[in-house]
Amino acid sequence: MRYVVRRLGFFALTLWVALTLNFFIPRFMPGNPLDALRARTHDRLSPAALEQMLTSYGFKPHQNIFVQYLEYLRNMFTGHWGISIGATLGEPVSTIVWQALPWTLGLVGVTTVLAFLLGSLIGVVAAWRRGGRLDSVLPPVFVVTSALPYFWVGLMLILVFSVWTHGWLPSDFNYDPDLLPEFSLGFIENVLKHAVLPAATILIASIGAWILTMRNNMITTLAEDYVRMGRAKGLSNSRIMTDYAARNAMLPNLSGFAMSLGFVITGSILVEYVFNYPGLGYQLYNAVQNTDYPLMQALFMLFTVAVLVALLVCDFAIAWLDPRVRATGSR
Amino acid sequence: MRRTKTIAAVVVSLSLLAAACTSATKKATSSSAANNPSGSVSTQPGSTAKASHKQGGTVTIVNVQGQTWSCQFNPFNPAVYAESLGFVYEPLVFVNLLNNAAETPMLASSYTWGPDKKSITFTIRDGVKWSDGQPFSADDVAFTFNLMKRVPATDLYSLWTGAGLQTVTATGNTVLLSFAKPAQPYFWYFADQVGIVPQHIWTTAAVAAHPDTWADANPVGTGPFKVSPCGPNNIQYVANPNYWQAGKPYIQKIVYPGYLDNGPGNRDLAGGKGQWGSQFIPNIKQFYLSKSPDNHTWSPPVTNVEIFPNLDPSHPQTSKLAVRQAISMAIDRNKVSQIGEDGQQPPANQTGIILPTFNMYYDASAVAAAGYDKPNVDKAKSLMASAGYSPSNPLKLTIITITGYTDWDASLAVIKQNLASIGIDLTVQDLAQQTFNSRLYTGDFDLAYYGEPTSGPSPYYELRQILYSKNTAPIGKSASTNYERYINPAVDALFDQYPSADSATQVSLIKQIGQAMLNDVPIIPTTESVDWFQYNTKDIAGWPTPADPYAQPAAFNFPDAGQVLLHLYSKSAQ
Repeated sequence: MRYVVRRLGFFALTLWVALTLNFFIPRFMPGNPLDALRARTHDRLSPAALEQMLTSYGFKPHQNIFVQYLEYLRNMFTGHWGISIGATLGEPVSTIVWQALPWTLGLVGVTTVLAFLLGSLIGVVAAWRRGGRLDSVLPPVFVVTSALPYFWVGLMLILVFSVWTHGWLPSDFNYDPDLLPEFSLGFIENVLKHAVLPAATILIASIGAWILTMRNNMITTLAEDYVRMGRAKGLSNSRIMTDYAARNAMLPNLSGFAMSLGFVITGSILVEYVFNYPGLGYQLYNAVQNTDYPLMQALFMLFTVAVLVALLVCDFAIAWLDPRVRATGSR
Repeated sequence: MRRTKTIAAVVVSLSLLAAACTSATKKATSSSAANNPSGSVSTQPGSTAKASHKQGGTVTIVNVQGQTWSCQFNPFNPAVYAESLGFVYEPLVFVNLLNNAAETPMLASSYTWGPDKKSITFTIRDGVKWSDGQPFSADDVAFTFNLMKRVPATDLYSLWTGAGLQTVTATGNTVLLSFAKPAQPYFWYFADQVGIVPQHIWTTAAVAAHPDTWADANPVGTGPFKVSPCGPNNIQYVANPNYWQAGKPYIQKIVYPGYLDNGPGNRDLAGGKGQWGSQFIPNIKQFYLSKSPDNHTWSPPVTNVEIFPNLDPSHPQTSKLAVRQAISMAIDRNKVSQIGEDGQQPPANQTGIILPTFNMYYDASAVAAAGYDKPNVDKAKSLMASAGYSPSNPLKLTIITITGYTDWDASLAVIKQNLASIGIDLTVQDLAQQTFNSRLYTGDFDLAYYGEPTSGPSPYYELRQILYSKNTAPIGKSASTNYERYINPAVDALFDQYPSADSATQVSLIKQIGQAMLNDVPIIPTTESVDWFQYNTKDIAGWPTPADPYAQPAAFNFPDAGQVLLHLYSKSAQ
C-alpha cells in the first residue's frame, strides 16, 4: 500500500513539474506568435490588425505571466485547451488533437505492439537455438536495420514500392484525399493500404532493439539454476522456453515496452513527415515551428500524462509480476 | 528543424525524391498601383473570354500547406484566406500584377476616381447572387468595408488607419469610398485584395459578435466555387451553379489535398496525380518535366531575394558604402541563380526592379553607368582597398539565414566564394526561423539573407516596404519591413509624391528610386523570387502562360487563383 501511495505522489509531483516547464520553456524560446504570423503573411498585413486578431483568439502577451500560468494550469485540467494561434490559426486545439490522435494511435500504437511481440518472439527463439540458422540471420539483420534512420527507410520503401512500381502502394496521406471517411469495407481497405509503408518503416527500424534485448535477457536466464532444474525434472522444451525462461526474461523488457507505449502518442515525426501522415507528431512539429503556444501546451501535456501513466502502470504491473520489487528491503 | 534539414540534404543528394525545404514555398501578392489613371473600367469579363467551353472535369491542386486543413474559410483570417478568396469570395476589381496592372472588373462593373484621387465611386454589378440564392447589392460592399472599421482585427491592410479611409457609403448601385489623402496606391488593397462578404449572414448574432474569429465553415460567397465538403486531408470545391458569369466555371470540381511537405506533393505532381503545382521542385528537369510531355513549368518573378546589410552606424563595416558597393559588384548573380536556385529563380539587379515583370520601370543605362550591369571583381577590390581591406587583410562578416532553406544555403555558398576573392571572409550562420525573425526585426545582424515577398502591381510596393523610413525602427525595436534601417529623406519624398502622381510621373519616380538603390546600395538583391508554378496539360487546358499572363499562376495567390480557375477547362469534357 505504501508503495502505491509513494508512486502516486511521485506521479503528481512529476506531472506538476512537467506542466510548469511546459508553460515556461516555450515562452523562453526565441520568437513569439506575432512575429511568426507576420513572417507567415510576409509582412504584407498590418501588424496592428494581426495583433488584434491574435488577441481575439486568446493570446494575451501583455497580461501578467503568473496570472497566465494559473489560468493555464486550470485550463489544462478542465480541458479548455484554447484556440491555435499558429499555422492553423483559429482552429480549436481540441479539434486538432482529436483529429490527429486516432491516426497516431492506430499507426504508431499498433506497430509498437507488433514490434514488441514479434521482436520478443524472435529474441526468445533465437536465444533458445543459439547459433542456429535463425539466430545467425535475423538478429544481425535487424540490428543493422534498426540503426537506419526512419526517414531513409521510408524513402527507400517509397522508391521501391511506390515510385518504381507506379503507385502499387500509396506513399502519402492516411487515405485517398478525395475519399470521404465512412464505415465501409472499401474505405477501411484504403486506410490499411496507406498504412502499409509507414508501418513497415517503423517496424523495420524499431524491431531490432526488442530482438537484441530479449535475446540477451533470455540467454542470461537460460543459465539460471531453475532452468536447469526444469530440465532435470524432465519438462518439455517448449514449457521451459516459455514458462521458465521467457517469462522471467521478459520482465526487464516489459518496462521498456510500457515506456514506449507512453511515447506512442508523440507519434513519429519523421515517419509522419515523409508519408504526409496527419498524426500528432507532425502537429507538434508545426506548433513549435509557428510558436503556437496553445497547441504546444496541449500536446506536451498529453505526452507527459501518457508517459507518466504508462510508467505508473508499468510500476504497478512489475510489482504485481515480480515480488522482489514489493519487498521493502532490509531495513 | 535540424531534422528537416537532414531530410532535405539527404534527399537532394540522392536525387531520388524531392523533399527539399525551400525558402520560397509561399508567397502572396500585395499592394498596387493601377496604371489606369482616371480608372474607368469598361470591359466585361464575359466578353474578354476568348471562347466558351463545355463544363466538366476535375483539377487537383498540389500546393504544400505544411498543415492539415482547419476547414475555416473566414476571408479575414490570414491562415485560411488563400483558400477562400478567389474561390468563394470575390474582389471588386481584379488587378493583374504580371500584366502592367491590367484590370478585370469583378463585383464592380466600373469605377470613377474623384478629384485628387481622394475618393472613388464603384458601380456595383447587377444580377449577382450569393451562393445561397440571396441577391448581392452595393449594401454588401459598404457593409464589408464598414465591418473593417468596427472590428480592427479585420482591417488587414490598415485601410481605416494607414490609408486614411474616412467613410464608405452605398447609394443605389454605387459605393463611395472617401479618403483623407490620395488613395491610388491602396486601390490594389481595397479593390483587389478584399473579398466582399454577405451582409445578411455577417449580421446574424453569432457572426456579428466575433467576425474576426468566426470559423465560416460553410462560406457563402459570390465566387465560382462552393466548399463541399472539407476535411483535414482535403478541401473539395464544387462549381457554384448560380455563378454570375454564365457558363462558368468550366471545371466542376477542385480537389485540394493538404500536403504537409514538399516531398509527397512533388511526387504526386510528377506522377500526374495533381495538375496544378505551386512549390519548388529541385532538379525540375529530371524530376518533373522529363516524366511526361504534358508537364510544364513557368515561374514568373515577382519580388527580390536580397542581402540586407545593417546600415545603422553601430555596424561600422556594413554601414560603409564602399563595402556594400563592393559586395554588390562582386556577386555573380547568374551563378547564384544557376547553382543556388537550379536556374528557376532568375538573377536580380541592383535597382531592385523585377525583370521582366516590371520592365517599363527599369533603366538599363543607369545600371550600366553605375557599373552594376555585370560582376566587376577589380572594381570591387579597389573599393575594398579604399575601405582598408584586401584578401590578405580580409573583412570578417557574418550573414544570417534560415535553417532548412537549402536553396539559400547553396546560393550563399556561391556568394561566399565571390566575396572571398575581394577580401571578405563571409560566415554563414543558419538560424531557426523564430530566432532569425526576431534578429531580423530588431536589427541584430551584420548581413541578413531574406526575401520579403510583398509584391504589388508595380515596384513601388516592394521598394516602399524596404526603403521608406517610416517602415523602420531603431536597433532593438521591431522594424516592420525596413530591416536594414535605411533613412533617406529624399527617397521618402519620392514615395510621398507617388500616390497623387499621374502614371508617367509614377514611372519616373520609380526610376529615381532605382537610381537611389544604385547610389546608396541600401540592400543587395541577388535573385528574383518567383511564383512557383507547374502544370499538366493532359486533360486540363487554359493555364496562364508567358504569352497570356492573365493572372499570377501559383495557387497560393489570391484572388488570382479564382481567375485561373475561371480560365481552366477539361479537354475530355469538350
